[in-house]
Amino acid sequence: MDLEEQIMNMIADGGEAKSRAMEAIQAAKRTQFEAAEEKMRECEEALTRAHQIQTELLTSEAAEPETVTVSLLMVHAQDHLMNAITTSDLAMEFIEMYKKMNTILSGKEK
Amino acid sequence: MIYITLVCAGGMSTSILAKKMEKEAKSQGKEVKVTAMSESAFKTYKEPTDVLLLGPQVGYILERMKKDYEPKGIKVQVIDRMAYGQINGKAVLESALALLKES
Repeated sequence: MDLEEQIMNMIADGGEAKSRAMEAIQAAKRTQFEAAEEKMRECEEALTRAHQIQTELLTSEAAEPETVTVSLLMVHAQDHLMNAITTSDLAMEFIEMYKKMNTILSGKEK
Repeated sequence: MIYITLVCAGGMSTSILAKKMEKEAKSQGKEVKVTAMSESAFKTYKEPTDVLLLGPQVGYILERMKKDYEPKGIKVQVIDRMAYGQINGKAVLESALALLKES
């Protein structure tokens, strides 16, 4: 895998993680909590993949700095990853909130 | 002429794929124009679009985009994650053209 492909994969994985996290929130909004949990598992998997590429890039930069050229696209990939992490963290909070709302609305909580 | 529009968060990574797709179409002798832009830019985009492809990073807007653009006769699809990562212009072009044939 060349550098450009690594970066595109990081964007795709980071982006997919964000997509799944957003879909998890949408599922929780419809009170489909199992589906939401499943989406969050997929989100985690994608995040792990994106992280792995980031680690590879960091390692090769540390070992042979001349092999890694920093480009705008690479910065953009970092952007995507950061965004995905934030969205995933918040998605977990949102799902909890929707669960709580659902319990209150169905009158189970006194 | 077939018009394919690629949309992602900022239109940056999709523009790399768009270039590869256009190159592939040209080598196959097909009249295809591929344009990449951000989702917000697409809202005010006046040029024709036959197929609207979404980057995997904005996959979650698929339902909304389908609702907004399918009534206008635009086919909407999320780009395959693998093909996107490999910047496989050929695969993405083929799947877009196949989507058009379905109708």
